[in-house]
Amino acid sequence: MNALLAVLWKDLLTEWRSRDRAVAMLLFSMLMVVIFHFSLPGGATTATRAYAPGLLWVAFVFSALLGLGRSFAIELENDAIERLARAPVDRGWVLLGKTLANLVILAFVQAITVCVFALVFEMDLTPIALELAGVVALGSLGLCSVGTFFAAVAVRTRFREVMLPLLALPFYTPVLIAASRATNSLFETGAVSFEPIQFLIVTDASYLIASFILSDFILDE
Amino acid sequence: MTTTVSDRKQGSIPPSHALRISGAVLAVSSALWAYLVYSAPLDHIQGLIQKILYVHVPCWFAAYAGFGLTAAFGALYLWKNDERFDRVAVASAEVGVLFCTLGLVTGPIWAKGTWGHWWTWDPRLTMTLVLWFIYLAYLLLRSFTEGSTRTARFASVYGIAGLAAIPLNYFAIELFGGAAMHPDNLERDSLGAGMGWPFVLGAATGLLALLHLILLRVDLETRRVAASPALADWEHDEGF
Repeated sequence: MNALLAVLWKDLLTEWRSRDRAVAMLLFSMLMVVIFHFSLPGGATTATRAYAPGLLWVAFVFSALLGLGRSFAIELENDAIERLARAPVDRGWVLLGKTLANLVILAFVQAITVCVFALVFEMDLTPIALELAGVVALGSLGLCSVGTFFAAVAVRTRFREVMLPLLALPFYTPVLIAASRATNSLFETGAVSFEPIQFLIVTDASYLIASFILSDFILDE
Repeated sequence: MTTTVSDRKQGSIPPSHALRISGAVLAVSSALWAYLVYSAPLDHIQGLIQKILYVHVPCWFAAYAGFGLTAAFGALYLWKNDERFDRVAVASAEVGVLFCTLGLVTGPIWAKGTWGHWWTWDPRLTMTLVLWFIYLAYLLLRSFTEGSTRTARFASVYGIAGLAAIPLNYFAIELFGGAAMHPDNLERDSLGAGMGWPFVLGAATGLLALLHLILLRVDLETRRVAASPALADWEHDEGF
């Protein structure tokens, strides 16, 4: 557990000092929102609001992938990844620490992206802000748990920028389906439907447990 | 099978008995199956296009068995750390992807003739498409990872995770996805007279083809591994 907190603190401190990953992710997700506006017929208005939940999650997924790829790439410098793997602690806690650090960075990016998204799509999200934060947190936990796990694999491959999306996206499908359904019901009715939330909890738990158990095989020297 | 250095250099490792036997059984089974498919009566509603199911269904049996074997032998590799298990895992994945591709090609041909659409976002179809992407990514992961032990370890983990992702993906698509259109599993007496045997033999032939191709691929991988020192020597001599 101490290893988890140590890795979480190390990653957040590194990010706070450089701020390169969060800024790149934020800029990328905001650019995506602008691109959505130009790609929709008639632009992003109240008429195209039906597409909003899906597009919002597409922006989240791709900005998450951008940041996740960097989370292990920085460990390659000075062979820091070897020292992480050699640390006399359970590697599952190391992976979980990195997952939580990625989740915190992604949450910061998402908070600003949602504001920009609401402005562009002319939506008032303040009455459902708390519920939306809950749905986004649950969906993001799924994205970060499985994404961090595959980032540790992809970083050891050639073309790691290509490999991470190829490995992770098929596993993002259930998260994406449930999260966009929950967001859709929230946008339409102002209330969260129970089924997708229940499914997200099960998916998050499965991904976290599986990545914890299998971490020994992917974090190597 | 033990091989000498001269065997490796001359490429004279004989095929195993299992490979010869499976090849012979597959040849007989395929011929008999082709005859039964040809002589099976035409479906009175769907007509000739229904016969594609005699190919389509066996492809799925073989694809799912291939992916199951990939995960099973991947788990065995992680447990025993024996390279031979990894060879079977990669062979099963390659053959599984081949049959999955055939299933994804034959299915839409039948669907266009019967449903009027090439594709629908039916849970079973979508799930299979996701599975196809997962095992293609598995093969790419193997190509892009450096170091044979690491490649085997990463691929084993991904192969197991891929199979474990089936229920999550299936339930997600079933709960929140499109309406189911794909026919359910065949039940007893659901086929017309004379249609049962081509199905049964088709499924058996599909599994035999899977077995034979896996054996062939494992044999190829064994030869590749056996030849690699000789190949390295040759490359060194030629100044590569």
